[in-house]
Amino acid sequence: MEIIEKIKINKSIDNQTEIQKICLDKLQSSPLPNPRSEQWRLSNKSKLTNFLDYSVNENNSKFDIPYPKNSQSTIRLIIGENCQSKLIEKNYSIQQLSEDELKKYIKEQISFFNQNENWSDLLNLSLSCKNNILGFKINGSKIPPIEIFSHASSNSLSAKTLIIFLEKNCNVELLQVNLGEDNSSLSQSTFFCLEENSSLNHGVVSYGLNKSNLLNSLNVIQQKNSEYNLGSLHFKFNYARFEIRIKQSEGNAKTNIKGMQITKKDEQISTYTKIDFDGPNGFLDQINKSLADDKSHAIFEGSIIVPKIAQKTDASQLSRNLLLSNLAQIDTKPQLEIIADDVKCKHGATISQLNEEELFYMRTRGITLTEASKLQLSSYFQEIISFIPVSKDRWDLLDKLLNEN
Amino acid sequence: MQSKMKESDPILEVKNLSASTDNLPILKGVSLTVYPGEIHAIMGRNGCGKSTFSKIIAGHPSYEITNGDIKFLGENINSLEPEERSQSGIFLGFQYPIEIPGVSNLEFLRVSTNARRKFLNKEELDTFDFEELVKEKLEIVKMDQAFLSRSVNQGFSGGEKKRNEILQMALLEPKIAILDETDSGLDIDALRIVASGIKRISNAQTGIILITHYQRLLDEIKPNYVHVMSDGQIIKTGESDLALELEKKGYEWTDSFIKET
Repeated sequence: MEIIEKIKINKSIDNQTEIQKICLDKLQSSPLPNPRSEQWRLSNKSKLTNFLDYSVNENNSKFDIPYPKNSQSTIRLIIGENCQSKLIEKNYSIQQLSEDELKKYIKEQISFFNQNENWSDLLNLSLSCKNNILGFKINGSKIPPIEIFSHASSNSLSAKTLIIFLEKNCNVELLQVNLGEDNSSLSQSTFFCLEENSSLNHGVVSYGLNKSNLLNSLNVIQQKNSEYNLGSLHFKFNYARFEIRIKQSEGNAKTNIKGMQITKKDEQISTYTKIDFDGPNGFLDQINKSLADDKSHAIFEGSIIVPKIAQKTDASQLSRNLLLSNLAQIDTKPQLEIIADDVKCKHGATISQLNEEELFYMRTRGITLTEASKLQLSSYFQEIISFIPVSKDRWDLLDKLLNEN
Repeated sequence: MQSKMKESDPILEVKNLSASTDNLPILKGVSLTVYPGEIHAIMGRNGCGKSTFSKIIAGHPSYEITNGDIKFLGENINSLEPEERSQSGIFLGFQYPIEIPGVSNLEFLRVSTNARRKFLNKEELDTFDFEELVKEKLEIVKMDQAFLSRSVNQGFSGGEKKRNEILQMALLEPKIAILDETDSGLDIDALRIVASGIKRISNAQTGIILITHYQRLLDEIKPNYVHVMSDGQIIKTGESDLALELEKKGYEWTDSFIKET
């Protein structure tokens, strides 16, 4: 019950929003996720407890943005700082969702929540104050790239929520950056609704510092003929979970996911994905990469649900992993649940080490072992990084991974 | 055969070299000396230790030297890392050049060329200057510039891979090149291109060791010495006509030398 008490101490019942009250009520019955459930059995219990150790902070302190703003045209938002935004241009509009719209949408989402599966969202919504919920509806064309930052300060637990409706026929490029300072916990829940014929190129880059933690939950609903592309990168967290839930509500939609997590020291980073095909002719191409070094632990669990209605689904899920140390651990479990009988679905997993013969070949050409390893890793990283919508000249993620991580 | 008086110091001097992998002895006392300007050929059945010999000279970490010395330009290199050997001028042309997906051939060639140039106290080349240099060298092996933008050896035909090896040799300007079955998998035209490239790169200051099964490469590049290897040992050394004799009589003929040794 510790987390419930903590939230209550932080905020009296009078100051709680209706959403917070609903979520708190749900958490009362099971304050922590069931450690024996499939979604949580590999999660490090003490690290999860450590996530909840910090006091809740609703205020937002200044932090350094890791790369310069590209141009006037890029829309840069920081959750908690500039929630009052309304941008109407000739070709497009980006409007903040009203409180009622937000409340209605979140309540509807909560009604579908499963206690274990959506525990991270329940926690987020019970902690996230009005200022830290950013909600938009976007429509039109020629929409400039959007960047959204979430941040947790040292020695605090911060909760940020993002809700975006992409209206019909609009195409958006959105980069979401989650930053954790030393000894911090960030709870980030994101909800996207892609209406018919819309498309979203979504990048998620999350990294922390010493002993920072992250619970990052992403919920996407895709209507027909929509396309959702996700490139994600998580590294430098003591403990991080990235939960992706995507529902192709009427089928006939496309989803492409390329994600990577990098663990070192004694870190644990996990990715859980659940892709629901609730209609025919759905498409999914997913690759998840993990790289685990030292005594760290990387986890991937992916499930693809193809019910009878989802005929002609074409889905592929691959988990490719690099184990760089004898003491590191990788758990991977890509899985399919198929009821429909006319589908093309495949999944697979590989765990390997750096290729010794490639390394030797490079070394016989005068390239040092360190540089040869970097060249190998850069090719491993490149496939994912190239899918994240940020150009190399603005933010060289590959260089960051190879030289700082 | 190598008792002739030499005017200069040897480039490579291998003395009584024994080596093993996973406690399995592979080389059992190999000695070989290469002087500047010399071309040596090593022949022998599959599995006799030819490729292992080349890998050990290049410093492959899977092999342990259990006895003997490798001296390069007068210095013992037994404990040098592969990259240090390469930087100082030892080149190994692979029998099966490795594909490295995702690493651009141009960048790979530039990084390796600069590593060698740094050792030679030459100025390292930026991308533009390197492109000029590599264009010049591409002509030696008649390769198209398009190969530079692809990943290292990925999707290359057998012949293209071997030409890429000779291109690397041309860029690195080694003191000694060990070419492990560079002729395998090449058609007649590709063999001529590769052989002509090797001849253009080699000079009176460099040494070459050709590891081969066939006379056809030695028709193009005439060796000064031919060594026959069997069961991890050099069992016979002769001049270029030894290869012709081997071609006629086959390796069974050399079995009698094993009995003699």
